[in-house]
Amino acid sequence: MTAFVLRRAAAGIVILFVASFLTYVLVAESGDPLATLKANPHTTQATIDAARARLGLDHSLLERYWLWLSHFVQGDFGQSTQGRKVEPQLWQRLGVTMKMVLPATIIAAVIAIALGILGAVRQYKPDDHVSTTLAYIFYATPVFVLGILLKDFVAIKINNAAGHTALYTVGDSTPGFTGSFGARMLDDVQHAVLPVLTLVLVSYAAWSRYQRASLLDVLNSDYVRFARAKGVPRRRVLIKHALRNALIPVTTVIALDFATIIGGAVITEIVYGWEGMGQFLLGGLTGPLTPDVNTVQAWLVITAAIVVLFNLLADITYAALDPRIRYG
Amino acid sequence: MCSARCDRRSVRTVAALVVAGTVLLALAACGGGGSSSNGPTTTGVKGATKTVAVKSGGSLTFALDEDLAGFNVLNASENEFVLQEVLDPVWPSVFITPPNLKPTPDKNVVSSVKLTKKNPQTIVYKINPKAKWSDGVPISADDFVYNWQAQSGNPKYKDKGGKPFEPATTSGYNQIKSVTGSNGGKTVTVVFSKPFGDWKALFSPLIPAHVSKQVGFNEGWASFNSAAKVSGGPFMIQSYKQGSDLIEVPNPHYWGPKPKLSKLVYRFILDDSQQPPAVQNGEVNIVNPALPGLDFYNATKSIGGFQVSVQPGLEFQHIDFNETNPYLAKPAIRHAIAWGTNRDEIAKRSAGEIDHSLTALNNRIYMPTQPEYKDMSGNFSKFNPSLAKKTLQKSGMTMGSDGYFHPNFGPEKGKPFTLSISTTAGVPVRSQIEQLFQSEMKDIGVKINIQNYTADKLFGTIGPKGEFDLIEFAWVSTPFASGNQSIYCSFQNTTVCGSNWDHYADPKVDSLFNKALTTINPTQAATLYNKVDGLLWKDMATLPLFQQPQLFGWSTKFGNIFPNTSSTGIPWNATQWGVKKS
Repeated sequence: MTAFVLRRAAAGIVILFVASFLTYVLVAESGDPLATLKANPHTTQATIDAARARLGLDHSLLERYWLWLSHFVQGDFGQSTQGRKVEPQLWQRLGVTMKMVLPATIIAAVIAIALGILGAVRQYKPDDHVSTTLAYIFYATPVFVLGILLKDFVAIKINNAAGHTALYTVGDSTPGFTGSFGARMLDDVQHAVLPVLTLVLVSYAAWSRYQRASLLDVLNSDYVRFARAKGVPRRRVLIKHALRNALIPVTTVIALDFATIIGGAVITEIVYGWEGMGQFLLGGLTGPLTPDVNTVQAWLVITAAIVVLFNLLADITYAALDPRIRYG
Repeated sequence: MCSARCDRRSVRTVAALVVAGTVLLALAACGGGGSSSNGPTTTGVKGATKTVAVKSGGSLTFALDEDLAGFNVLNASENEFVLQEVLDPVWPSVFITPPNLKPTPDKNVVSSVKLTKKNPQTIVYKINPKAKWSDGVPISADDFVYNWQAQSGNPKYKDKGGKPFEPATTSGYNQIKSVTGSNGGKTVTVVFSKPFGDWKALFSPLIPAHVSKQVGFNEGWASFNSAAKVSGGPFMIQSYKQGSDLIEVPNPHYWGPKPKLSKLVYRFILDDSQQPPAVQNGEVNIVNPALPGLDFYNATKSIGGFQVSVQPGLEFQHIDFNETNPYLAKPAIRHAIAWGTNRDEIAKRSAGEIDHSLTALNNRIYMPTQPEYKDMSGNFSKFNPSLAKKTLQKSGMTMGSDGYFHPNFGPEKGKPFTLSISTTAGVPVRSQIEQLFQSEMKDIGVKINIQNYTADKLFGTIGPKGEFDLIEFAWVSTPFASGNQSIYCSFQNTTVCGSNWDHYADPKVDSLFNKALTTINPTQAATLYNKVDGLLWKDMATLPLFQQPQLFGWSTKFGNIFPNTSSTGIPWNATQWGVKKS
């Protein structure tokens, strides 16, 4: 197992290196960070030249990449084009995203597995039809539509009924909120309910379908029929023999989706005004003085590392779920 | 000026930045906001009324649709409209621009400002003896000297580390010969090397010199640090959470009228469409979106206890002609395009959706909401497609069987007369303008191809390199007309009038501009600037379309919120804001 992990980690580093180079080149060539200055008729040529030198844009692309790489291997993510250190922003954004993605993934996984089992066990029964229909509705609804509906028809209605703000629609916390640890936790939860619910609805919908299909496959397999024929109780067959196998595909999907959502929940973040990793990337590509290569590179390195890590975790989980799988 | 409004609105800016100070002169005189009888009256602007009595305390949240690039609005890279709004009540300004767009000295900052001599032009500023920064350092001549040097464009003045300063503009400061202090630093005498008519645009705002010298003008203000907390206004920045919010609280060391609110929160909600639900949920109290559309207007208009006001801003949409194109180099062809463009219809069917009174704009230098505005368009004010066709015919073009004119000369000889139009992609108002323009040009026999780009591509490459035939964007202006010179002065090369992307040139315009710039009398200067615009119409340098409306919305439980269409923004009188007394 150790050798397997090391091999996968080494492959991950190579992938990361290639991805960082390609991203650097593509992002750097996609625009001109000095465009805003050039568009301003009052910005003098001397100022534009000074900004070019400050941002290192007078170096060749390869030189700039090398500079970035040599700093990065020393743990320095560099500065944004706005002159701010990238690293503190990166961890802050990652923290914001995790506040949303982690609970959403756990809740969605539990619901998806439960409803997937229900759908498979009670295939074509009324509750399966209801579950299937709801899953398709949530799967097909764009996140921004879901966000608007939840704000207008859940949050605002609940708040009006309660006579105070129980659910917030913008941001991950109340600006300048001070209070006890419990009060701050409550404030965080009040802000997180809607974005978490959005991600849960979108994620569970797809995952429950995987779980249902996977469990149906297993339940119709020979070894399960054999176990039932031998008189093993249905519940025991389902939990002990079928479910463990049926969890393998959905584990892969959840692990990969989790890693992807961390870097890619852009729309959810925009809809709820959360400054997470998605907006971090977006800001690096579309904000003032963009493209901001160092910001995009920081996003890439972290999200790529998380993807590699969760792939690895998924592989390790296979072994736990299925004792036949051995890595050497 | 703020190029950032530009960035967020995908427009370019015109004139020198004039920042709002914090309170009106009248308020300073009466010692604080209060009843309707003793506050300032903002006249001449729709939606502005007398002040009302407000309570002390309370928190107000203002939604901004862009995060801050830094904390030094005078720096080229951080010069954003949103930062301007944040700094309105923080950095002192000699002159503020109230909603009537007439610059007024802030008596809390200067006891008097006098033009003492016309030749050489000399201005004497007497600083309010009580004026000091929140760290206790007096506001003095040192601040004026540093602000001048940093924005002078003179390479002999250096930033920290010996690097050249990177100011957003050098306009006016580059004409100052000397800035000297006397009377213990409380009197400042500014002498110009040549007259500068818009001198009221200068020293507004003032960056704290002692702090900026220490941290550096270019790079010291990029992040939120102790420098950004120093205030010379009624509020000071307490905290900043990148991408989330910025909180201001009253500056305990402020010597003028104290703010009524105990907390002013700027909340960054980057997607405008998410602001109305936040308003409805009580999380936001003021909105001023970048390019408001009908959806936003309808969504906010229907919210109870929330007032919405749409007002023409100091910005306008226009179409530019690239005169390096052999056809557009001919004034007659530009005239034909102008006559063939139904500007009233374009105004009505694009931004006019939220402002039904919107009509074509007939001046580039002044907007109809400014007292200096005059219709200088002459016979171009009327849509005249038949004259457009006749003019194209006279210019050496023949109508083809395909419904398009075919030039009898130039590189496109014998082919349908085709031009491309470019603007920033994905902006609904701009797309509507282009499509209407395309349809109108087809009616007069001109084929238009639409080719749009991202904002950075359009403003970073396409515009500066002249890779367009026609280009559509907006100019954001201030009450100071001098900033227009760099747009319309005769193009020579990238460093001399390089911002004139159209390569338009007319020595008469140059001469008239120079005369206007050095005219100190505002009335005479306005007459000259209007004459400049008359020449620009005659030459058809650019085609103004309409004044861009701005939308302001605020919760009616708060009082004394008066929209301000200048680059100062709505927080120009944040000191007076407060929860209404019932």
